[in-house]
Amino acid sequence: MSVAAPGHVLVVEDDPNLAAGVMENLRAEGYEVSLAGDGEQALSWLAAHGCALVILDVMLPGADGVTVCRTLRERGNTTPVLFLTARGDPADRVRGLEAGGDDYLAKPFHLQEFLLRVRAILRRWDWYRSASATADTAMLRFGGNEVDFRVFRARAWTGEAQELTEKEAMILKVLVEHAGQIVSREDLLERVWGYDVFPSTRTVDNFILRLRKRFERDPANPRHFLTVWGVGYRFLIEGGP
Amino acid sequence: MKAVRVFQLTALALVVVSAVQVGWWLYDQHAYAVEKVRAARAAYAEQTAAAQALLDSGAAPERVQQLLPGIVIERGHAALAPEIVRALTTEEERRYRQYAWEGSFFLLALAACIAVIARALREEAHVREQQDSFLAMVSHQFKTPLASLQLSLETLALRTPGPQAARPLIDRMLADVARMEQMVTQILESARLERGRVELKTEPLQLAAAVARVVAQFDERARQEHISISSDIGPTLTVVSDPLALDVVVRNVLENALAAVKGAGGGNITLTARALDREVELLVRDSGVGFAPAEGRRLFQKFARLRSGAGYYGTGLGLYIVRRLMELADGRVSAHSDGVGQGASVCLTWPAAPAGALPQAAASQEMQP
Repeated sequence: MSVAAPGHVLVVEDDPNLAAGVMENLRAEGYEVSLAGDGEQALSWLAAHGCALVILDVMLPGADGVTVCRTLRERGNTTPVLFLTARGDPADRVRGLEAGGDDYLAKPFHLQEFLLRVRAILRRWDWYRSASATADTAMLRFGGNEVDFRVFRARAWTGEAQELTEKEAMILKVLVEHAGQIVSREDLLERVWGYDVFPSTRTVDNFILRLRKRFERDPANPRHFLTVWGVGYRFLIEGGP
Repeated sequence: MKAVRVFQLTALALVVVSAVQVGWWLYDQHAYAVEKVRAARAAYAEQTAAAQALLDSGAAPERVQQLLPGIVIERGHAALAPEIVRALTTEEERRYRQYAWEGSFFLLALAACIAVIARALREEAHVREQQDSFLAMVSHQFKTPLASLQLSLETLALRTPGPQAARPLIDRMLADVARMEQMVTQILESARLERGRVELKTEPLQLAAAVARVVAQFDERARQEHISISSDIGPTLTVVSDPLALDVVVRNVLENALAAVKGAGGGNITLTARALDREVELLVRDSGVGFAPAEGRRLFQKFARLRSGAGYYGTGLGLYIVRRLMELADGRVSAHSDGVGQGASVCLTWPAAPAGALPQAAASQEMQP
């Protein structure tokens, strides 16, 4: 995967008018913009170039947006994705976000909200990158596990190599930054996803379960990812009760 | 909607109960008749036995005959009168036939009622399902131009561009509105076709003139988009079709061809025609983006859209309407392409008009462009 160019946005949209409108506005905000008319074009463009954000229409000719996003993640590309879709029901949102999307906007959308969400996604990634920039913060060692935040890879205590999804890495990053303190589910949602994208805080619980499965010796009796009942989670580097 | 459904289900239940009741009633009546005939036979048998006893005890046959008129006596032997035996048998058969006919008629009528109601219920469920998917599709189709329109308007509001910079935005908005207008037209058209509300008035038509009229409407657009449209159709070719339907069909096919050629960055569209055995075939060939050969059939389904043409938008109803109209006009339509980027051709076939069917004036009125 190429290095992400800051401020470069790829717009994947088959409708020429909508694409033109989105691109003009992104340019006006100072972003550099490229266009792909369908999923295949988008994937081949992303294989050769890096960018800071992909705006991805869900209904595309050929491979749809969700498939494109899933393919991207399978290839190890962690570029954030903002879905645009004509269907905005919760089931559809979950489908998009589970495929590895960062945010979801239903058509027709408000220009201001769109720009706000673009900014929010980029800000979250800026935070993540700057929080993983130094040799000290890029690596995390706990309980025999080793996590490299820059490449989303880890080696579990079993010696097994692990590929983290960007959301898992972000959640871990937030927990590590507040190691020993209680972090609420709402805080995690806010820091990692932004705002109202997920229907419930249960999603956070699922991600914590996945992290435990990766890194805990006994996921049923965690020593690092502790649940604080009714509030949220607490991460202990040394391992606790 | 719900009240109708409750009514239908109630009617269905009532009819089923009625059918069961009729069945039971028939069985009961039949059993009753059989029992009556059996009782009559038994009574007559008793009479015969009594007559025989009287005869055996020496009573005069005339006297016995007088007492028991239903009995005939031959050579000291009492027997039931043959006409009574016949009457009993006839009565039994008559009853049996009556129940068989009336019963089966009633049961058949009730079964027909059940079938009709059940069918209506099933069809209704099917229609509802189709409506749901149609609505989902339509709302999706509308949301994209709507989103584009809203985006353009909000861009104008947010950035207040000068007249020069606003021009492309306004053009886009006009295009979005035109697209939505076209969608409404096509959706109404296809809905009418769906419900069978379209009645074609077929008449002999000169193909070249009819096609030329449609092509003329695309001239300006084709010029702007660097597309050349040429047609070579013999003036003697006449088809039997509804003039309006033919117009819509050719227009939709050309609309698609234009979009496909535009997607390829320009090129040409040719229209040729030839007479076949009792049919006339119009071939619309374009040098556009084409499609995978396997998609040729799918294109005529509702909401089918090309996978290959990036930047091409449509309702997915144009070719569906073409197919339905061609079917109604006893014609055929098919689409061919050698593959993506290879251009495409659409073949339309109408029944040929019999020689001399066309009034001379109409035939010579217009020539091809």
